[in-house]
Amino acid sequence: MNRRGFLKFAAGGTVGLVASPIIWNTLYDAVYWSQNWGWIPRVPRGDSTYMRTISKLCPSGTGIRVRLVDGQPVRALSDPDNPLSRGALTALAAAETQLMVSPARLKEPLRRTPDGALVAISWEEAEKLLREKLAEAGGSTACISGDPTSTVNELLSSLVESRGSADFYFMPDDEQAALAAWSAMGGMGRLGYDVDNSDFILAIGANMLESWGTVARNRRNFSAGRPAGQEARVKFAYAGPVQNNTAAGADWWLPCRDGMEMELALGIAHLLIKAGHAVPSAGLDDFKALAGEYTPEKVAALTGVDAGRLAEVAKALAGAEKPLVLVGSALGAGGGAGAVMAGIAVNMLLGRVGAEGGLVNLPFPTPVVTGASDYRTVVNRNLIAWSQSVASGETEAPRVLLIYDANPLYSLPSDSGMEEVFTRSGFKVAMASFLSESCARCDLVLPAAMGLERFDDCYTPYGSGEVSWCISHPLVKPFYNSRPMGEVLISLAKELGVETGVKDMPGLLYKKAYSLGANFRKMVESGAVFQKKASGAFSVPVYNTDAIRTALTLKKEAAPLSLAPVVVLGMGTAQTGIPPFATKIITEYQLAGHSSVAQMNAATADKLGVRKGARVTVGNGKVKVPALVDIFEGVLPDAVALSAGLGHTAFDEFSRNKGSNIMTLTSITREPGTGLPVWSSAGVSVDKA
Amino acid sequence: MEERNHTSAPETAKKCCCCGWGAFLVGLVVALILGWAVLPALMQKELKQPVAFNHVLHVDEQGMDCRQCHFAGPDGQFSGVPTTASCAECHSEAIGNTPEEIRFVQDYVQTGREIRSEWLVYLKQPDNVFFSHSVHSVERCSTCHTEYAENPGALCKVCHIDMSKVTTPPVYSENRLSGYPKGTMLMWDCERCHANPNHLSPATNANNACFVCHK
Repeated sequence: MNRRGFLKFAAGGTVGLVASPIIWNTLYDAVYWSQNWGWIPRVPRGDSTYMRTISKLCPSGTGIRVRLVDGQPVRALSDPDNPLSRGALTALAAAETQLMVSPARLKEPLRRTPDGALVAISWEEAEKLLREKLAEAGGSTACISGDPTSTVNELLSSLVESRGSADFYFMPDDEQAALAAWSAMGGMGRLGYDVDNSDFILAIGANMLESWGTVARNRRNFSAGRPAGQEARVKFAYAGPVQNNTAAGADWWLPCRDGMEMELALGIAHLLIKAGHAVPSAGLDDFKALAGEYTPEKVAALTGVDAGRLAEVAKALAGAEKPLVLVGSALGAGGGAGAVMAGIAVNMLLGRVGAEGGLVNLPFPTPVVTGASDYRTVVNRNLIAWSQSVASGETEAPRVLLIYDANPLYSLPSDSGMEEVFTRSGFKVAMASFLSESCARCDLVLPAAMGLERFDDCYTPYGSGEVSWCISHPLVKPFYNSRPMGEVLISLAKELGVETGVKDMPGLLYKKAYSLGANFRKMVESGAVFQKKASGAFSVPVYNTDAIRTALTLKKEAAPLSLAPVVVLGMGTAQTGIPPFATKIITEYQLAGHSSVAQMNAATADKLGVRKGARVTVGNGKVKVPALVDIFEGVLPDAVALSAGLGHTAFDEFSRNKGSNIMTLTSITREPGTGLPVWSSAGVSVDKA
Repeated sequence: MEERNHTSAPETAKKCCCCGWGAFLVGLVVALILGWAVLPALMQKELKQPVAFNHVLHVDEQGMDCRQCHFAGPDGQFSGVPTTASCAECHSEAIGNTPEEIRFVQDYVQTGREIRSEWLVYLKQPDNVFFSHSVHSVERCSTCHTEYAENPGALCKVCHIDMSKVTTPPVYSENRLSGYPKGTMLMWDCERCHANPNHLSPATNANNACFVCHK
């Protein structure tokens, strides 16, 4: 065969191969082959088992049923048998198993080297270092915890306070304002909301179907009270500046300016008193006089809520058999006690305090760890006051700062003083599962086992209407080189000679169960939940009108626009970042590419001279953040809605450099009377970029 | 000069069949044989099932129902292959005297070895596809395809090999490159229903969004 013949043979061969399926089939096979490359995670094969536990990532400890295949957790499902969440699941709880292998998961203890890098060290080195630093620091030790429901707090409290320090703080949340309000009105315990048994709920500022309080339980109540195709047994009204999912689900949405919750509650009180609803208690006359000033017209001018609509809701509230008014802040923190006091007063007018489906008085948990401060004391401590005092130099910065499951550098306003606390503290230690902004600034980072890998608990999250206690227990050994922080703290306390009275976490939880009268073994084995109805025995609340009047003197910032935060659990928490599993539910109305979306109504956009898609900056005079404009008529005039949970500079590719952190736009003022730090009302301006 | 520019073969040169179109045809035929028969066969590795399970014996002679072994559990998870324990409900000891049954009892039932983890699945799907048998149920499909209500097995046969008439399991043919069996369905097989507008009815809601199958 000569060259020409060979070429013809090759040409024939090529045509033949193209006309046969082998090339195309091999291409398909190559695609399948590429899916089997060794580094691609495999779905385990094997028998499925289901274990009941709770999500420790979810702030309200939603009950979950974890599906394990061949002993490996693969999916978090809802738990219909959990009496609290009753089959509802939050976006964060759903991501529990995926987050165990998140790229941002801390895998080894890390120590900062002199050149500023965080390098992996062994647990032995990490524990030795922490022990030495705590021993050196003595009483100059502070701790911030971001998980108020866990009994691990008692270990931290005992460890810190045994050194002679009283600087053990919870991250700010709505319970601090509620506790101040409830105490001012004569309450002796924790303020609870019997959402389960109410037939009309007016949520002022609290986006109770998205992130506020016991959100999974709230959603279940919402769906159970409104069966498809049947008449709604429970009515909902929501007051807030954005037509969020809570507003969309509610029967009435009262578009109310952020930070004007107190004025709105007084407007409702005015209408109720006028209609003859005024259950007597001490101070009623004074309160009547105050509420008398808040006519619907005045409230409409202050809050933006139409007077007719306000009257409609007040009438429906008065007509309900078991109405309940609850007050909260969109961010879940930074709201003042004044609004909660006004909300309590409205409940009092309707006789709904201590009643079924109304406000309830919940007992404080009894500490079970030797030397731990009681819950009430810790909640009443003011982290912001301390951090601002450190920032101003009035208080000395601690030599050792412990950060437990918290991300204060991200989730507090920029004038909180936390930046200075981090700069001035001698040795900063983070105990966390994910590399957050705060972890990235610490000198020692201890990788914490997650909820499915450790013993932990969730005691009566704020927003509950009864005492509840759930346990999380290890379904699997800790991934990577993480360890349960409770065990690490117990061991540390022992070596430092601190008497905690417990040997290990199961022992601690057993002790807690004993103090409550719960069956620890049954709870671990079957995922049972301890519940106890509120006792109802407490002193009769009083209309503390003076305290409300004082809180009303809070000066609101004069700014062209107000910031309306939108908070959903799909964005994760400050401690988790955006769960990779949840990125699919972040919409183009929250994040467009790498830019936050500033939603405003058409009238506001016209006033500002911007259109949909325009690049703008949203600023507060000190900080400006970029955003893209979107027009949404569900935003109050002169308000800009921005999603919280964006703008991370740490974690992983799913969270980092996506949008802007709205906390940088907030600033702190002190509420007159209570002295509580308030940042729920932020004035901003929008400029074309 | 004229001699040098002459590009065709001299008339006196012998014509070679290999250098004419015959070479093209030979190449074509060889490639077609390779492409249609030889190479596809070489790409496949033939494996036998761990046990020569006889469907005819169990269904026709013993009167078993398909759903005794192939059923959806209460959580919607489909159990396609029975466990050794469920086989042992009858075969705790050998009932007959066939060598395969005796081997099964000795190797699996008596040792507790799990047959389900060794059985080769003819329609194994990649991990990036989520297929739920519960959603593709007889109840749902027979809303329109009434024939499935009378003959539920016909719905299974839309995708699966008809095993009810075989005495020995078919040879499992696995692609050497991909590691998947020959019968693994490709996306267009799914699209026959999912991309069919008639399936967007409320009865099925079988829309074609990515997230429906790729979780």
